[in-house]
Amino acid sequence: MRNILIVAYSILLGLFLTVGVNAQTIKNPGVLVHAADDEATTLDPAQVEAGEGGETVILQVYDRLLEFGPSGPELIPGLATTVPSVENGMISDDGMTYTFKIRKGAVFHDGTDVTAEDVKFSWDRIVEMDLPEGQAGVISDIVSETKVVDDYTFQVILLEPSASFLNSTVVSMAASIVSKDAVMANGGVVEGEPNEYMAQNAVGSGPYKLKAWNRGENILLDINENYWGNKAKLAARIEIGAEPDVRVLGLRAGNYDTIETDPSFVADIEGADGVTLHTGGLLLEPIHVGFNLNIPNGALPKEDTIPTDFFHDPRIRQAFNYAFDYEAFLMGPLAGFGEFNPHYLPIGIFGHDPDAPRYGAQDKAKAEALFREAGYWDNGFSVSVITEEANLFADAALVLKDSIEGLNPNFRINVLAVAEAVFDEAHAQNPVEYAMWVKNADPFADPHPYMSAYQHPDGEWGEVHGFANGYRNPEKIAELIDGASTELDVKKRAAMYSELQKMLFDDPMWLITAQEGVTMAYREWVTGFVHNPLWPRPSLRFSYLGK
Amino acid sequence: MQIRDYIIRRLMILPILIIGTSIIVFALTRIGGSPIGIYLSHEMSPAEVQEMKERFHLDKPVPVQYFYWIKGVSQGDLGWSGVASAPVVDVFPKKFAATMELAIAAGIVAVSLGIAMGTFAGARRNKISDHIIRVVSVSGASMPLFWFAILLLIIFWVWLGWFPIGRSDPNLFEAIPHPTGFYTIDALLAGNFSAFRDAIWHLILPAVALGYGATAIIARMMRSSLIEELQEDYVDAAKAKGLAERVVLKKHARRNALVPTVTVIGLTFGFLLQGTVVAEIIFRWPGLGRWMASAVLRGDQATIMTYVMFTSILFLFVNLVVDIIYAYLDRRVVLGD
Repeated sequence: MRNILIVAYSILLGLFLTVGVNAQTIKNPGVLVHAADDEATTLDPAQVEAGEGGETVILQVYDRLLEFGPSGPELIPGLATTVPSVENGMISDDGMTYTFKIRKGAVFHDGTDVTAEDVKFSWDRIVEMDLPEGQAGVISDIVSETKVVDDYTFQVILLEPSASFLNSTVVSMAASIVSKDAVMANGGVVEGEPNEYMAQNAVGSGPYKLKAWNRGENILLDINENYWGNKAKLAARIEIGAEPDVRVLGLRAGNYDTIETDPSFVADIEGADGVTLHTGGLLLEPIHVGFNLNIPNGALPKEDTIPTDFFHDPRIRQAFNYAFDYEAFLMGPLAGFGEFNPHYLPIGIFGHDPDAPRYGAQDKAKAEALFREAGYWDNGFSVSVITEEANLFADAALVLKDSIEGLNPNFRINVLAVAEAVFDEAHAQNPVEYAMWVKNADPFADPHPYMSAYQHPDGEWGEVHGFANGYRNPEKIAELIDGASTELDVKKRAAMYSELQKMLFDDPMWLITAQEGVTMAYREWVTGFVHNPLWPRPSLRFSYLGK
Repeated sequence: MQIRDYIIRRLMILPILIIGTSIIVFALTRIGGSPIGIYLSHEMSPAEVQEMKERFHLDKPVPVQYFYWIKGVSQGDLGWSGVASAPVVDVFPKKFAATMELAIAAGIVAVSLGIAMGTFAGARRNKISDHIIRVVSVSGASMPLFWFAILLLIIFWVWLGWFPIGRSDPNLFEAIPHPTGFYTIDALLAGNFSAFRDAIWHLILPAVALGYGATAIIARMMRSSLIEELQEDYVDAAKAKGLAERVVLKKHARRNALVPTVTVIGLTFGFLLQGTVVAEIIFRWPGLGRWMASAVLRGDQATIMTYVMFTSILFLFVNLVVDIIYAYLDRRVVLGD
């Protein structure tokens, strides 16, 4: 026994001495190691949800017709050789028809050529499958017809002119181009049913090829040596599911090259040897408190004393906006990384008017005056706000609680911080059975999706939350949002969004707590680092990076 | 009643117990609410939510949902794991193998170190080496696993860079087939020494962290048993016969001291399996514990059902085996006395 132990531990010691590495040398040469927050759900562009982990991989392994370039919202050619415009004749004068010349010589990872037929197939496929978790609406809400003109010419006819088609539909991960041959050989297209092969494999034409997906462990990407554009410099490995503290430790140790983080980890990263903290810019995902104007009778938690039409009164919504302690949220949970945001159009998005009236500073006097006017100051109220537990949204809910309860001891905010799945279920109800909830928006490059989803009285949330019950002039707001979406004159369009911002300041349907700042951390040995919030999180294209 | 009849009777009862257990477990998981949340996102319209409910039969009453679940199980379909983004039946064997591999490695660390330390300390009672080992043992038994694991991680992964976390170097892992799911065994079967070394290398930190607490328990048990044995008359007799101290210790006293220690070792394995949850989370080990922790936090009921049913059935079988052994040892059990 003793001899066996001696031999065993001698072997271990030997291995220990031979494998030890110098912490100063570049670790994992030839491979970019990114520590991600959570697992992808699917790798199929027809199934992936906006903002979900699968989009991280889809961005790297698939191409789209156009892409966001490295420095903001400008569009660059992808599988299409040219960005269409009226000037180059690839957008018809009436703004209804878009023509894309497809790049010759681009090949899918299965070796087949990329043709206009594949592009049409990819776009039609997502609409035909129409999966509830997918983003079929990105195409079907805006596209009337897709056409193959010839092997390398693809044409799209819209339902109506759209100012946001190129920078919201064409660049969407859902509009990624898949190999028709690969799909048809592996389950084809079935309405309403996910394609299991495509969910777990990727046959695109992007700069990376999917090598392996070891669930709960890692996703391995190989360099696509046949890529039509600039080849990736490094293979990539996405390490899945490390705890936030472990990600920070791994970055500091050099075992990870880039990590997903948020402002709460800045203090642990700042000043670390060999680590660069990238803090430029803002995320395009406003963190918001939603007001429900469509509360079903008897649905609210029993602690809530508000009537179901509580938020129909714009003075109440204004009072909440004046009462919130924006500075406490920005300097506390966000550690100073972010900006006060006047309304739903994020800073950095076309149409954002910096001169529009804004909330963004706590004004207790105005809040009190509004609550008094609305008749709630003397008797008070109790209302619940539901949020996911243990994240920035929960922090925002707690700041809201402090802000409102600090105004008046008769006011009570009950923060219901619940597991993500419980929140998602509550949040997906129609009507929602809570008066308020906290979350963030999805990022878009164009103002229309923000306005349509979050402000339009008949939009995604307008309908669920019954905005028509509360807007002073819902018809005018709808008219402006609809008009701006089809207005191709840039100046006129900007003026329409400016007017909307003024109206929505008086008639807020959300409390925008802040626009979170970008905080990305990476090893100093990573070269070519570029970060674009319009790319799916972590907002990195691995093919640009070297080390 | 003959023993054979007794076994047959027990085997006939087993499916009823399993179905009964499954009904209870299914009902309990549904008490916590519908599992639909794991499949939803806030972008979904009510119609899309309804479609998702229909896809997973969650629009039906709970008894009908149970029927669909049991029908799926009978066809080898344990449901979809929202956490792992894959069918449970595909993921479970891999996670199970990873956890067992870690628990066994931790057990090897605990048994080999525990017995060696216990023997060493017991043979040198009240000497300085005994005191040192007792301090090490007490600290092992009293240090929380999560704290010790993070300590190891910071020292050996972050500061020194000697040991990795996770389960494998993905390139080596991908280079071999995985017929058993045990990376060490698969590497040996493939004759790939680099992969084997990689497997051992990745096992060291989590196995030591997990095994240290058990090491302490085993060492303390071994030490006290050995001290008792060394005070027995047969030890004096052996020494009087002129046997060397080393031979008396190894061939006689230690062998007898191992009997109570082995009982403790058996109990310790359960402790190790429990501890894998913490070790897997900290060391990013892709096993059952980490998967289950995520499933509970995110309400992934298909995964929770499978795990709970698996452990329930395991216990039912273990109980069956124990009862059969009792029946052999005590015939009154068979006769129903």
